[in-house]
Amino acid sequence: MNSEAAEEGTMITSTSASASESEKVDFSSSEIEYVSYGGEHHLPLIMRLVDEELSEPYSIFTYRYFVYLWPQLSFLAFHRGTCIGTVVCKMGEHRNTFRGYIAMLVVIKPYRGRGIATELVTRSIQVMMESGCQEVTLEAEVTNKGALALYGRLGFIRAKRLFRYYLNGVDAFRLKLLFPPLQNSFLLPMNKNDGHYHQDYLQQEGCSESHHG
Amino acid sequence: MAEKASLVRFLPVPSPSEQTVWADVSSLLNAACEDLQEGELIHGENFSLFAAMSALEIMDPKMDSGMESCGYRSVEEAIENNAAPIPLNHDRTIDVQCVIDVMDHLLACEATWHTGHSLAQTVFSCIYLLRLERTSLHPLLHTFCRIIRATCNSVISVVSDARTHEEEDIFIMAHGLPLKGEGDEKCLSMLQAVEETISRQLRACKALSSNKKVLEDIEPLQTKFDLEEGYCKAVLCRLRFRKHFYHTLICMRKPQGKGFELAKKHIASCLSELAEMVNSSVFLSSNASGICQTDAEDCTTASGCQPIGFDASLNGRFSAPTPPRAIKIFGWKKAVKYFEKLLHDLAIICSFSLSPFFEDVLRFVGQFQKSKPDLVARAHLHILLVQDGKLYGRDYFYDIISRAISLPDVIKNQELHKSDFVVQLGQLVVNLLKVLCTNAAWQRRKLGKILQDWSVTSVQLELALKRELGELSKLSVDENICIKLSKLLLIWSEEQTFWIASRFLMMGFELELYSPCEYCMVYWYLYIIFVKLLEKTQMRLAASLDTSKKKGKKKKDHPKDTTIDATHFSPLVLLLRCYICLSEGLAMMLAALSNERMISQKPSIFNSEQERFIQHFDLLLKAHVPDHISYVLFKKSTVHTQLTSVMKYNYFGDVQRITKELRGSFAGDPERLAELRQIEQVAEHNRIALNVIHQAGARDQSLKLRKTSGRHCGQMNAGGAFGGNRGVGPVPPEKGIFPLDHLHECDLEKKEYMACLKSSNHLSEKCKHFSKKYLQCRMERNLMAKQDLSELGFREELDKEGSKERDNKIEK
Repeated sequence: MNSEAAEEGTMITSTSASASESEKVDFSSSEIEYVSYGGEHHLPLIMRLVDEELSEPYSIFTYRYFVYLWPQLSFLAFHRGTCIGTVVCKMGEHRNTFRGYIAMLVVIKPYRGRGIATELVTRSIQVMMESGCQEVTLEAEVTNKGALALYGRLGFIRAKRLFRYYLNGVDAFRLKLLFPPLQNSFLLPMNKNDGHYHQDYLQQEGCSESHHG
Repeated sequence: MAEKASLVRFLPVPSPSEQTVWADVSSLLNAACEDLQEGELIHGENFSLFAAMSALEIMDPKMDSGMESCGYRSVEEAIENNAAPIPLNHDRTIDVQCVIDVMDHLLACEATWHTGHSLAQTVFSCIYLLRLERTSLHPLLHTFCRIIRATCNSVISVVSDARTHEEEDIFIMAHGLPLKGEGDEKCLSMLQAVEETISRQLRACKALSSNKKVLEDIEPLQTKFDLEEGYCKAVLCRLRFRKHFYHTLICMRKPQGKGFELAKKHIASCLSELAEMVNSSVFLSSNASGICQTDAEDCTTASGCQPIGFDASLNGRFSAPTPPRAIKIFGWKKAVKYFEKLLHDLAIICSFSLSPFFEDVLRFVGQFQKSKPDLVARAHLHILLVQDGKLYGRDYFYDIISRAISLPDVIKNQELHKSDFVVQLGQLVVNLLKVLCTNAAWQRRKLGKILQDWSVTSVQLELALKRELGELSKLSVDENICIKLSKLLLIWSEEQTFWIASRFLMMGFELELYSPCEYCMVYWYLYIIFVKLLEKTQMRLAASLDTSKKKGKKKKDHPKDTTIDATHFSPLVLLLRCYICLSEGLAMMLAALSNERMISQKPSIFNSEQERFIQHFDLLLKAHVPDHISYVLFKKSTVHTQLTSVMKYNYFGDVQRITKELRGSFAGDPERLAELRQIEQVAEHNRIALNVIHQAGARDQSLKLRKTSGRHCGQMNAGGAFGGNRGVGPVPPEKGIFPLDHLHECDLEKKEYMACLKSSNHLSEKCKHFSKKYLQCRMERNLMAKQDLSELGFREELDKEGSKERDNKIEK
């Protein structure tokens, strides 16, 4: 496994907190179910979402790479049985630090702006923290204001600007989240079912009542 | 479902040895394949992200680049199918129109190439350029193509010599393209001949239309008499632009800036020819007869017609080891703008005084970078600054350093270049200059890294100085000089370290790396750095005065307070004081606002401000720039700050007071005056904002605060002399990204290959073992799909030592 490829320019992280008003769906936050990656039947759901929302063409093997090696870091959000958002990540050794990496984050347009992406990514980061990661990184296009705001709220800083990171001339930010040295002093205030994450990664999560706004 | 089948794991493959027995497993594999569903995979220990991402789904147009190019498979096939006819049309008027379109589209391609795309997909998408010998029957097209090719070579050479193209490394990749050809050195004389012919045609047609007698019998450029003048002019300005641009590039490469005066003249001519080209577009578009391009902005020609003879897909295999991405070629107008900017940037370089003072060099580079010059201009600057290990190819760097520290003449000549530290500092200066010529994003990262080197050198100097002082008992005159030298070098190197740190922090604003809630800590750190910088600057000034005093002792006695005057009231010192007051004021104002809950900041759930502090200033903290800085110190100095105390200290008022004093000293220096004006404005805005907030109290703050924060960050940035945004807004990627060698892991291999190509006259066959090494390196670092080298055309000449092994394999 090599983390360089992911670090140095093969992945796009995309998310959006802004939504076009016209397309909004009326729903209450409690209707959204968050589920950890549960196996082969989730794969087509993730693929369909990412294929639709991101322009980068990923082969099925790319998805398999992530969800097989780190199933505990992938989450899906459902509304009335339909998958409406997902996050896909990895973690590993990188230059003497153990770091997490957020590869893909998608919430479909009508559901944006309601904290679903934040909840998804928060769950992944929580698992990374508990697995001993010292930091989490990702790249986001400088134009992706929604993603930048979302990660900013979670404590990410813009560590670097990567000049013309994308071939068409767009710059990227490398975002980084450094965890405090004592992990236990930072428990999630909103996460009531903390214990679920510790070992039993592949179990299905129930509906999360609490919601991060 | 089928998870089991897709998760079959293989044991690690044992390394081949004498005992290896080879067996045919095709049937086993076939059987295994029958069990696999579509999209499943058998994955081994080395299942890497890059391997996964490199799997292409055949027939998926998003991944299979073969799907997209329904065009020609080779240049020859394209030519056979009349994709690039010569002449371009049998109607001579249309032929001229088409040639002008080709010229314009090439300009658009060239600008696109300069801004970071591959040569293969831009300029060399021109079929006429790919088979230049074909055009020899068409003198106009032929000379134009030749000078384009010569210009490309010249640009590649300056960029690859300067090596400022960090991260933009696809720029000079040109192997496989017919870049060098015989006779290109004669391109200027060929162009001269064609230009003369057309000038004569223009004169003839002008004479005819004013009923004057024509002196010579000249065949016109084309057949329609009423259009003759317009087409002659349109062609002439395009030819002349190429001529002067090529001259400009050649003149600028002359050593020690000796060609700058001539270059300036050529630049002026280039700009006026560009203006002529823009003027000609009305005529060209009103007489256009080709297929019109739809969008005026995207249009790559002045006439608005689609050019003939271009096909980017023909070079697909030269562009990249991954599927080629579609490139959007600049519109013609945008290309003209690009060249205007490039020429202006080059003109700035040509006007530089080549000052031998290091301070001036730094100021010039800073000023030059303000306008965000593109790669080609930056490469020219770099080539100028560091030539043959000397500044401008003229001054030794130890001379530059000795001038900077105002070294007494006694040591200057004999001791200096022998000192290891001077050599070391000279190398650091060369690196610094190189870094300062790179693009802003890369520059900031590199500045952060070289900070460490400067800091280490300073520490070494300090240790050496302490050692020397320890041996002070056996004091002699010589040793005294040594100590003096070490002291001066130490002060100077520390001053440079803090200058680099200040630039590093300021550039974060330009690159939008700080979010508003982090401004307070950034300004606080900047304040600390500026204070240190001022301290070192004053020490240097005092030391240099000391030296000059000794020299001038006999002539006249200096009044006692000269030292104090110079070190406390010199313009440089006062300017630094402005920055100190400004950054301290902003930091304290923001701290007060947050302490009095006028700025509310939601705590993030995963970490605290402390972690953000550590991450932002990681490189500075690691390099001890300065020593003993910590988050705790930051908190201590800001946690009790109240608005009333910020008011009392009147930071912004102080700034305004100092700038007033300074204006006189900077009269006649427009750059410095502009900087002062910006500082004044920031101070004024924030002084007023502070008053308003203070008076209004806690009510209705949100609105006002947004206003003020918008002001201080934007303008402190501008005031810091690094501001301004790139004109062109970025566009999100259409089809994603291609893994560049961002870490330069395969630079050595690349350079070897390029050097080999150069020496073997670009016969790539002769360099196969180098290209093999390069490709292997890329594969090893996951910068390219892992592939059997035999599939990449490395067959017989490979592995001579390994051939035995292969024979064995075949036998068994």
